[in-house]
Amino acid sequence: MIQYHDIWKAFDTPVLQGVSFSVEEGEMFGVFGPSGTGKSVLLKTTIGLIDLDRGDVTVEGDSVYRGGKASLQRIRYRVGYVFQNAALFDSLDVYENVQMGLPEEELRVMKRLDVTRRVWDALELVNLEPDQVLRKLPSELSGGMRKRVGIARAIVGRPRILLWDEPTTGLDPVNTAAVERLIMRLSQELNVTSIIVTHDIQGGLEMCDRVAMLEGGHLRFIGEPDAFRESPDPVVRAFVDRAAAMAALDQVEV
Amino acid sequence: MPGPSTETPALTILQRPLASVGRVSRNVAEHAGQLGLLVARTARAFATLQVSPRSVLQQIYVIGVQSIPIVIVTAVLAGIVTSQQGGYQFQGAVPLYVLGSIVVASVVLELGPVLTAIVLVGRVGARITAELGTMKVSEQIDAFHALGRDPVAMLAAPRILAGVIAVPVLVAIANVVGVLAGMVAARLTLGLGFESFLYGARLFWHNWDLFYSLAKAVVFGFAIPVISIHMGLRTRGGAAGVGRTTTASVMFMTLTVLILDALFPPLLLQ
Repeated sequence: MIQYHDIWKAFDTPVLQGVSFSVEEGEMFGVFGPSGTGKSVLLKTTIGLIDLDRGDVTVEGDSVYRGGKASLQRIRYRVGYVFQNAALFDSLDVYENVQMGLPEEELRVMKRLDVTRRVWDALELVNLEPDQVLRKLPSELSGGMRKRVGIARAIVGRPRILLWDEPTTGLDPVNTAAVERLIMRLSQELNVTSIIVTHDIQGGLEMCDRVAMLEGGHLRFIGEPDAFRESPDPVVRAFVDRAAAMAALDQVEV
Repeated sequence: MPGPSTETPALTILQRPLASVGRVSRNVAEHAGQLGLLVARTARAFATLQVSPRSVLQQIYVIGVQSIPIVIVTAVLAGIVTSQQGGYQFQGAVPLYVLGSIVVASVVLELGPVLTAIVLVGRVGARITAELGTMKVSEQIDAFHALGRDPVAMLAAPRILAGVIAVPVLVAIANVVGVLAGMVAARLTLGLGFESFLYGARLFWHNWDLFYSLAKAVVFGFAIPVISIHMGLRTRGGAAGVGRTTTASVMFMTLTVLILDALFPPLLLQ
């Protein structure tokens, strides 16, 4: 279980103001909200990538901000993080990038053949052909392939939790649908808890067991997808309508 | 309803410079604190054997081996110019063999280490800041953390150690090449023979000078990567941010090299 306790964070202006909620084990949880409402910041707090002004996050009982270095390291090995633009290491090829997803201690004692097998399996799981991409640099891959390598790096360490930061941003509708299918398949096959921050409301509502909406630094809604669609809250309604209009516009442009 | 401002122009005039002093002081303290933290984390990475020897060797190649051509060109030009200007000033007034001493002292004490450092600020320091800055804005540094890796051990420590090892070697090369270029230039333009040049060079030579030169090199070899890494890791704001930070980093490194250079004579040449 992941618990966010009274999260406060401000940069130049307040971003998160007292956000609290929890995500149950095995759940697929979506986080929506207008741009700049702190969705990605919230996701980053799950593994301590951003310092908080106040509050704490606990992941399966370990505290991110009060548990010390050892606790944070344990959490990070338990969590796979898929970055918005994949964040692959430019100077490393696909094999080296995915291999970095294996915990350091594990990597030290593993045989080279076993490492290769784990990297190979992870790439196959994300529908890439390992022999075609293993020695390629990130700059030689398409946007969709980079995203898949980023996912392979996140899952190669067999995490119990997957955090997805805008997994479909920058992808065309075909790739978006493919990545969404991949997210659902991986979450079921790997039996992980997932938190997905996304601007793709329709996709998020189809994938997630529960969703939350952030607005103005506060949690505006938390509940099941159907309740979100039918929410009487005018702010939620306006957001859902705007998202539907944007999705329709995207379809027309395609 | 807010009333009219009671702030007098005199107060505003006083407040502005005070606010500027406050901002600058805060920035200096912030940089100093972050630099100290970076050095402490680097030391811890070495102490806990987290630094890969392979990465250090790669960085020695990038910082040291790949810089040899530009360092040699700079040293040759510095040696020729020193020899020419010295010859111009001494002709008819001082025995020309003194030129050997002037060229050696100028190159070894000052031009070798400082010009090499300035060249490295542009070739190595700017590259490190831009590279780490790009990694920062594209979330690659966050990815290191997310994967349970320490970016200081993986990115900073190898570059700092490589700088401390490679820069003294580059300065030694610059010293030798600069003196040789000055000697050849003196022979070709002033007719000063090699033996006379070397006689003059030996007359005022102190072994301490070589230590002084290499001590400067070690300090510059430490300062350039530390500052460039620090600035790279502070980068914010996409491609424009990388450009801004790299420019600021080059200025920061150049000034630091010149200030450190100015501190050496009172500390080590008394």
